Amino acid sequence: MPNPDTPSRTDYTAAVESLADRVLGALRGAGDPAVVASQVDEAPDPKVALAAVRVLGPDVFAPALLAEAPFGPGDARAVAESLRIFPPAPDAAPEAAWRDWTTVRLLARYGGGSPGETLTDTPADTPEDTLGVREPTPPGGAGSPGSSWRELSLSMAQLSPLALPNVDGPVHETALDRLRDLSRGAARAMLRRDYPTAARLARWLACALHRGARPDLDTAALVRHLELHCGGGGRTALDTAVARGLLDRTQPQRPGGPTA
Amino acid sequence: MSTPRTTAEAPAPVGRSAHRVSTRALGWLRRHCELGTLPPGTTSDMADPDSIYKPLGETALAASLVLREGLASASEERTARELLDFAWWELRGGDMLYERQLRYMMMVDPLELYAHFVRAGYRHRRLEALLDHLGGLVTMDAVEQVPNRRLAVANAARLTGLARETDWKRLTDATWLGNTPEPWVIDWMTAYCVTHTVFHITDWGARPGDLPPHLEEYLQLWLPVWLDIWREVQEWDLVTELLIVGSCLREPYADPALWEELASVQHEDGLMPRDGKEVEGDAAQRFRDHHHPTVVAAVAGTLALSRAARR
Repeated sequence: MPNPDTPSRTDYTAAVESLADRVLGALRGAGDPAVVASQVDEAPDPKVALAAVRVLGPDVFAPALLAEAPFGPGDARAVAESLRIFPPAPDAAPEAAWRDWTTVRLLARYGGGSPGETLTDTPADTPEDTLGVREPTPPGGAGSPGSSWRELSLSMAQLSPLALPNVDGPVHETALDRLRDLSRGAARAMLRRDYPTAARLARWLACALHRGARPDLDTAALVRHLELHCGGGGRTALDTAVARGLLDRTQPQRPGGPTA
Repeated sequence: MSTPRTTAEAPAPVGRSAHRVSTRALGWLRRHCELGTLPPGTTSDMADPDSIYKPLGETALAASLVLREGLASASEERTARELLDFAWWELRGGDMLYERQLRYMMMVDPLELYAHFVRAGYRHRRLEALLDHLGGLVTMDAVEQVPNRRLAVANAARLTGLARETDWKRLTDATWLGNTPEPWVIDWMTAYCVTHTVFHITDWGARPGDLPPHLEEYLQLWLPVWLDIWREVQEWDLVTELLIVGSCLREPYADPALWEELASVQHEDGLMPRDGKEVEGDAAQRFRDHHHPTVVAAVAGTLALSRAARR
């Protein structure tokens, strides 16, 4: 008989969705700005809430990076606590390792420093300063030049929490280098009605636009369609909102062109 | 004892799979062509032109392309010629096309069917005189058609040598593909429109250079995606048509793994299933259900082999 005190998978899923909703609220300038701290403080089981913080990874910084929402010491403590209780696995898949690496470095940036520095400029770049998390090797799908557009898209969808402004690194370089393949992946996801994946890849397309590149898809139309669809739950809504946020901070894409 | 290592074997070269597909498909079409005979007494007023009459034209298309590409063995060439002779006989040496065009002036299928025979050297002078006459009428430009059908007529007129002025750019720009739309919006029917737009502009791969560069670029980008999603849901007829599109490009697109998969989906006797559903029924039912995808397989294999051989 299951122990009623042991959190179930449903509890964890609900906690992730709840945190995603709260981050989304903060991104839109609504609700409690101390997103992470409040989520953990108010949770019936703080451990489950901390697990959700780990799952969202760099996305808990999205309101700070996109909407200049405050990220206070309480939030930083909660993220640090989540990393202590659920330490990054040494044998994690490259995609998970990159999400952890980025979370740790963003935490270093927001743990006491002021927002606005770019990640690569953060002084806390040494492994000692990043809770022992070392820079991963580039992810298999994304990093190997010979990977197919499908493999790359799968890998980059898992890396979508890195698609944020003022966050840079090898994964972002890959996104720019292989934008054409990411456009294919986004089109494929849309045609398969796999909106969660489409929203994740839309983030990378919007991120590329934000950096002055020109994706092969009309990214604004794609994001608008995802917004109207409103399916896929809190995380997809968050991915879509981040893509929207990146688009809103970008010069409009010239309409038309040969591969609209 | 060591465990045997399983390594993914590289797929067969496109040319080999394509040849296998086309040879088997052509053989199936020849062995079953008697199932596609017009009932005795059929006139140009046929109630259901899609059941026998149009498939005769599709068979003629496949056979004419086998002869055009000139890479078939002597035995395959003979098979192709027999199929054309059979279909031409069924159409009473073209008289059926003539009568249908005379009775139904705005129908475009007589010209479209005729062009496949012209490609293989068959002629019907009275039909050509009739088509010349009709081409001079105002109605020909005013007839209400979907844009890719206008391209079909233009290509058939070009093959037949009819003196008609064609503004290919205007016709192309009117199609879905001509507008290079959002690739994630495409649906099943529109995908068929895209394939036919390409078939007619390039005359089934004979004129890859006629495809405007921006459409070549668009197709190079999105064709792999469309092939992938329709392969996943086993829409083999459409997948095979999209593979023909790959062979119509200036820089042909052919995925060896997909070609190998298609060859494995094809039945040993050459039947190409329309989709992933069970192939059912007697020979007549199978012919009705799977004649089209098997024609498409013969065309796709012939053109892919040809493009692979010429690289």
